[in-house]
Amino acid sequence: MHHVVLDRWSHGESALHRRDARAKTIAVLIFLVALATAQRAFLPLSVCDLGILAATIIAAGLPLGAALKRAAVVLPFTAVFAAISLAAGEPMRAATLVGKSYLSALAVLVLVSTTPLPELLGGLERTGVPRYLLMVAQFLYRYLFVISEEAQHMRAALQAKSGTLRRAVWDRGKFAAAGGALGVLFARSYAHADDIHQAMLARGFQGHFLTLSGRSFRRADVFFVAGALVIVAGTRAAVEAWI
Amino acid sequence: MHIPDGFLATPVWATLDVAAAPAVGYLARRAQQGLEQSKVPLLGVMGAFVFAAQMINFPVGMGTSGHLVGAALLAYTLGPAAAGVVLTAILAVQALVFQDGGILALGANIINMGVAGMLAGYLPYALWGAGRWRRQTIFLGGFLSVLTSAVLALSELMISGVAMPAAVLRISLGLFVVSALLEGAITLAIMQALASINPDFVRQPRSGGGRALGFIGLTAIFLVVAGVAIASAYPDGIQKLADATGIASQAKTLLRTPLADYELGTLHSVWLRKAGAGLAGLGLIYGACMLCGKLLARQRGA
Repeated sequence: MHHVVLDRWSHGESALHRRDARAKTIAVLIFLVALATAQRAFLPLSVCDLGILAATIIAAGLPLGAALKRAAVVLPFTAVFAAISLAAGEPMRAATLVGKSYLSALAVLVLVSTTPLPELLGGLERTGVPRYLLMVAQFLYRYLFVISEEAQHMRAALQAKSGTLRRAVWDRGKFAAAGGALGVLFARSYAHADDIHQAMLARGFQGHFLTLSGRSFRRADVFFVAGALVIVAGTRAAVEAWI
Repeated sequence: MHIPDGFLATPVWATLDVAAAPAVGYLARRAQQGLEQSKVPLLGVMGAFVFAAQMINFPVGMGTSGHLVGAALLAYTLGPAAAGVVLTAILAVQALVFQDGGILALGANIINMGVAGMLAGYLPYALWGAGRWRRQTIFLGGFLSVLTSAVLALSELMISGVAMPAAVLRISLGLFVVSALLEGAITLAIMQALASINPDFVRQPRSGGGRALGFIGLTAIFLVVAGVAIASAYPDGIQKLADATGIASQAKTLLRTPLADYELGTLHSVWLRKAGAGLAGLGLIYGACMLCGKLLARQRGA
């Protein structure tokens, strides 16, 4: 599955992986803002930005082709609107939509594939995002797999028990059966949550998560953010001055 | 409909990020106060449930099928505050891990689906959920939640100047109504299954809180209508609107004045002002978030 690969990538040991989660988050935000506010000379800028991201991916020791392919998940949604813009006679806007959404997705992909999600959320907690929300997000990510697997089993059971001959007609019974399946999945998830909480209490849960890797904002992180700012802003200035 | 980055104009995403930060902070506080500690894993697992629920297809005939979106269902089972937190967590994980929805556009997506859509879905349930029209109310809630989110997203795109010819607009509104009807039917089917498995899963609407909720819901619906009205009045987007009202030129002088005394040639270029404004906006969002957190914490301590 998609996020398993990201999880594996995020446990690398490159210099980029070792940076503090907050530094990488700030760098990505700088990149996203510079890209989102760009209006002039967009095409050369997007080529340069793609180069920056590709260099970052290679420096982080990630497979470039696979990363480029993964970021393309935004394209189906974008393609619809790009097609509408093309039909409305605005080819430049169509190109901007495709370029901006793809490059933004790729930048976020670089962030999450060099930072394990618990570390990323831990970094956000130290910048003041409500801890309660981040804990919910942690649990969500942790149990995504468990619950998805149960849903897969239930889907298989549902398909095995119901024929597919009457696909073409609205079938009230099948609709209700799908509703029942999700009701059962809901009940099972509820029971899981209870068990999880009991297990947490048994291990002495104090109301917040403890993380092993106590990474701190070091001098290298300051340099990293400054470097990202200079490269991203400098590229844009250079491109816009040159065109 | 998760809006990716690159679609919304800078004033639109920045404004919605500023609006979403305190809203989410407030919802998180409310949820934390209203639930005992054992519910923290529950909210996370329920988020995973909504993810997984997309795998179960609901056959609607003609060989097509739909799946649960879940905002109204979460509000009925966990209460509106907790549902808002779960939906925000879902949207954040989708944006980060699945590149489904943008990071700068996260505020817009949270407002559309996690706040306005969820409240629009909960509103009929809070008002009439205990009465004899319970089934119809549940259906209406699911319908309204999806329709509100979709129309909000569409009007944000239009305000940002994404081309939307009238024919396309009519088709997409039609599709939204169909998927909203489907969400109503799916929500009702699951709620009936839940009621027969264990009635305790469903929170009964409290009487008394109706007026405040009604006000919030009406505000949300008003915002939707206003958004659509503005978008259709200014089809060329917010740039035209800003030019027409003179906001753009004023903002330009405002931004230029503090820098006018410095003889830094590079600072006069347009893009640096724009990027600077964007970064300043992010700083403002951060500041607003911290301030609201502090205020709410003090309020709670008093």
